[in-house]
Amino acid sequence: MQRVVVVGSGDGGTFTANLLASQLHDEIRGGLAEVQLVGEHLEHPFQPGNLDVAFKGASPDKYVKDETELLRKEVEFVQDPAVRIDLPSKTVTTKSGRVLGYNFLVIATGAVADPSKIPGLAEGAMNFHTGPQASHEIWEALQRFEGGTVVVAIAGTPHKCPPSPNEAAFMLDEFFRKRGMREKVKIKFLTPYPRPYPAEKISHVVEPMFTGKGIEVTTFFNVDSVDPVQRKIYSMEGETFDYDMLIAIPPHHGADVIINSGIGDADGYVPTDKGTMRVVGQEGVYCIGDATNIPVSKSGVVAHLQSVVVAHNIAAEMENSKDLLEYNGRINCPMEVGSRRAIFVSATYTSPPTDQTPSIVKYYMKRSFAIIYWRALNGSLERIFDVFFGKTRYPATSQTEPEKPLMMTSASEGGGKRDE
Amino acid sequence: MSATEQHKVVDSRGSFCPGPITDLFKAYRSSQLGDVIELLATDPAAKADVTAWAQKSGNELLDIVDEQGYIRIIVKITKKRG
Repeated sequence: MQRVVVVGSGDGGTFTANLLASQLHDEIRGGLAEVQLVGEHLEHPFQPGNLDVAFKGASPDKYVKDETELLRKEVEFVQDPAVRIDLPSKTVTTKSGRVLGYNFLVIATGAVADPSKIPGLAEGAMNFHTGPQASHEIWEALQRFEGGTVVVAIAGTPHKCPPSPNEAAFMLDEFFRKRGMREKVKIKFLTPYPRPYPAEKISHVVEPMFTGKGIEVTTFFNVDSVDPVQRKIYSMEGETFDYDMLIAIPPHHGADVIINSGIGDADGYVPTDKGTMRVVGQEGVYCIGDATNIPVSKSGVVAHLQSVVVAHNIAAEMENSKDLLEYNGRINCPMEVGSRRAIFVSATYTSPPTDQTPSIVKYYMKRSFAIIYWRALNGSLERIFDVFFGKTRYPATSQTEPEKPLMMTSASEGGGKRDE
Repeated sequence: MSATEQHKVVDSRGSFCPGPITDLFKAYRSSQLGDVIELLATDPAAKADVTAWAQKSGNELLDIVDEQGYIRIIVKITKKRG
């Protein structure tokens, strides 16, 4: 019996479990393999939907489905959070004390947005990174807002969904314009980066649009603390701004199970090979998505594309095949810029950003992701994705450069490691 | 440099924008006045980014050295809240 345990039931964990169940269908039916998915929650959110909840008033439950509805029947869902991963003994211990042994392990425990890491941030700021309910609180506050200064601040990097702070500013601008009160509101965007978007080519698109919409930008602003009583936000560099409403992207770190198991770096992210997605120095252990320490976007698309590589590699390893695949670093992060326009921030480890123009087609493509996401989790859309994304994986042994993406070649989040 | 002041080496070689400056900020967050941060980077954009940050924030850019295949940027922390 070959047992695969997937820890974490977000986008990457759910999709990997389904892919493995599909690829190992005969083995599972024959009692030769087993796929267990360990997760905490029955509710599975489509996280990009948080922006719609916060700034367009979508219901907090609109983008949430029952995890069991998303899983293939061959997957055993263990709704009992993992509290300990012991790599030497190849076991995962759950909160209830259940000990799961494995032959192969996939770590998909994500990243945790944690406002408590900055003094005053939890009390003084709202956010759309800790879930639909927190996002709904922004929408409710916007209904009461009569005018003043709204500050959007990036309070830690890296964070999930790199374009989301910029999107928030664009969506706030649109919200206040539609309400006919834009002139009563100052929108301020505070970023630690040298420019409005970290990748320079994307910043070339964003910066003039921010200027045109009257969104003020302050760069090199590393949030030090927030005074929720005086409504002030301070940077480590010594700048201070007043706010009437503060929407902040909290600092992120790895999951508690990674930190408590001592298998992460200083921030709780798992050292992972950026190609094979193997955990460094571990046989049969893989890591995907936000949980890795790979300097690539923390986003669902990345987790999805890495899942394909990992499921393939585990199936290959089970057959003692050397036919492993490597992920090429492809990212594809849509950014809504207002007026029903969007851009796609996309790149690979070796393809640097390029300029692009906001388009209505990309806007509707972005909107459609919220619909197709649920079907994508069961693997039924892979052929379409293969056409859309182009080649995102290549044989591990070839060491050849991946081909250029077929479509939407544009920009990087930056911060990636170039192939040497 | 006093006994309590630290010299930190931040190795961002292989990382490209905004990797080096982000790594510098991580070290800055845990630094105290008087500490020296030495940033190693292969991305040439790090020069301009760190120079602009030091200029704006009031921290002291001590040196930028072109080494074989990488850049060594040395910053002294002279401005930090708290």
